[in-house]
Amino acid sequence: MEVENLANGKYEGKEAIVIIGAGPAGLSAAYDLVSCGIQPIVFEKSSTVGGISRTENRDGYYFDIGGHRFLSKIDYINRLWQKMLGENLLNVRRLSRIYYKGRFFNYPLVPSNALINLGPIESVLIVLSYLRAQLQFNTEDTTFEQWVSNRFGSRLYKTFFKTYTEKVWGIPCNQIRADWAAQRIKGLSLVAALSNAILRTQKARTLVDQFVYPLQGPGMMWRSFQQAIETGGGQIHFDSEVLEIGSENGRVVGVSFSKNGQPYDIPADHVISSMPINRLVRALHRITPSEVTDAADGLSYRSFLIVNLIVRRKELFKDQWIYVHSPEVLVGRIQNFKNWSAAMVPDPEMSSVGMEYFCNEGDEIWIMPDEQLIALATSELEKLGLAQGREVVNGFVVRQSQAYPVYDEGYKDNLQTIKHFLDGIQNLQTIGRNGMHRYNNMDHSMLTGIFAAKNILGEQHDVWNVNEDEEYLEEYREERAAAALSTEILETAFCRMDKLAFAVAVGAVSGLTVFIATLWLIIKGGEVVGPHLSLLSQYFAGYSVTVKGAFIAFSYTFFWGFLFAWLFAYLRNLLVAYYIYRTKRKAEMFSLNDLFDRL
Amino acid sequence: MKGEFQPKNEKVIVHGVLWLNSKFIGFALGLTCGLIIFITTNWLVIKGGDPVGPNLQLLSQYFIGYRVSFLGSIIGFIYGFAVGTLSGALIGWIYNSIAGFRVRLDGKSR
Repeated sequence: MEVENLANGKYEGKEAIVIIGAGPAGLSAAYDLVSCGIQPIVFEKSSTVGGISRTENRDGYYFDIGGHRFLSKIDYINRLWQKMLGENLLNVRRLSRIYYKGRFFNYPLVPSNALINLGPIESVLIVLSYLRAQLQFNTEDTTFEQWVSNRFGSRLYKTFFKTYTEKVWGIPCNQIRADWAAQRIKGLSLVAALSNAILRTQKARTLVDQFVYPLQGPGMMWRSFQQAIETGGGQIHFDSEVLEIGSENGRVVGVSFSKNGQPYDIPADHVISSMPINRLVRALHRITPSEVTDAADGLSYRSFLIVNLIVRRKELFKDQWIYVHSPEVLVGRIQNFKNWSAAMVPDPEMSSVGMEYFCNEGDEIWIMPDEQLIALATSELEKLGLAQGREVVNGFVVRQSQAYPVYDEGYKDNLQTIKHFLDGIQNLQTIGRNGMHRYNNMDHSMLTGIFAAKNILGEQHDVWNVNEDEEYLEEYREERAAAALSTEILETAFCRMDKLAFAVAVGAVSGLTVFIATLWLIIKGGEVVGPHLSLLSQYFAGYSVTVKGAFIAFSYTFFWGFLFAWLFAYLRNLLVAYYIYRTKRKAEMFSLNDLFDRL
Repeated sequence: MKGEFQPKNEKVIVHGVLWLNSKFIGFALGLTCGLIIFITTNWLVIKGGDPVGPNLQLLSQYFIGYRVSFLGSIIGFIYGFAVGTLSGALIGWIYNSIAGFRVRLDGKSR
């Protein structure tokens, strides 16, 4: 359907569902609707599908904007990917290392490899720092720096976490909030950690050393979605920027957008938005209170640019990507696209790399002319010893604004204010990484889109719960009952035992047992009453098989029962607490292993 | 991790109190007591001697009909199971009552 017809409201009598953004979230929403016989209209600001996970093509070379592994714990998403690409989805064995001080460190970190590379003195210092951290309990965990140092020692933190994290975020680690780490490191859930330790139930991402990847990069996946949506009657309009969203009485009624410089207005019955949430607020400016506008202005994003270089060399290095921790170069990560899929490079004698620079829009790197950036990337590639400058035959730059939502001091309050405002608009939903200002991975973003589409169809999903609570995903996989059961068992097993209550209970029952045993023999009577039971007097001074003796025996056994039960409960609590502590620490260490993948 | 970011079930583990299931405790203790009597009786029966197990025979003062014989071991199992179950259930009930009282006293919710 032509845009002019849309603007005239010619929907053939159907509900108009507008989706803003053709990234993974928007496309997933559109696809889900199309699968149910509904034809949505998608507006995409750029000229291609995929959003931040799109694939650029230059002279037959495919460039992924950042390197996107297709890896998910959500079966539904995995099935969807398979359905879309089938045999064009490659299984890739992951290899990525850290480059630091001229050496390559295995990643995820392997202690033996790290210690050999660091040398004996540095290794000892790191171990001492780690041991020192283990002896410090109840330390403040407000910032990322504190969070890592408290667990693994400040030396390990400075060696492996500080430089790269600061390169990515552009702010000191002591200004990054610990809850950012908590969200990135999913293994932090105590219940999940215990469940994994006991039942081996969690499929931790870190264990996965394989992932799937489309033959020609992620763009291939999104083009497949595009094709399915268009075949099903949905529309995707490129170069179409949504400028304003009209609303009446707490409902969205229309969308204004520009296409090729031409403004249009179309009515809308439902809107699903994956555009950055601050821009969404601006698009609703006619009804937005000033505090919400202020909150939107308070949200910040980290951008990045990638300098793609074509190198005349058959093999550069064996990794798919390298994390560059070395502070002497600006590049943060280097992608080697040929190792993701050989089909990313048209000539087997050539290679292509993506030199990733994390920056803020408008900063020195961002505004640097392309030629200078290519020269910088070429010189840094040579400086790192990965290729000779003269081997670089071509290069181009891709700038990606608003790539990462920043979790700074005020983001939580700002987001809450905006969310509260948007909740008041019944037929508007926000999805995706930037749409929700949440650090969603690709699969989580897709799931938000799918849930939003299903909500339009009458289901009730809380889109904001995706990636907030892994159990929500379990629910989607209809495994909620099993999850709840294991959670309940864990809660029952690992809670603190009330020492006093247990001691009194055991003492009372023990005392009663001897009390009744004594009385029973008295009632039975006989020439000599209870000669054997009276031997207890050897331990319980003053005891005899008499009524008085029964009370004395009760007192003694109550005392000893109480004492042993209290000690039992105390030791049990101590051992459980230690087990929980170790399990959680192990889970954190385990999760921290793949932290850089999540930055 | 700061409290505000703690999931609900994590708070339960960290701050909650263990509750005993009286039925299970009773069953477990009953089974244990019953089996102890069953095994110890049969062990003495297998060992033999004259007389067989005079000290264990003293249990008959409480468990009417009990003897140190195979049939006696089954009777002993039943008695042991009954006493153990009762004791275990009582421990569970008393524990839960006191722990519940203390939780209420602390103003915490179960």
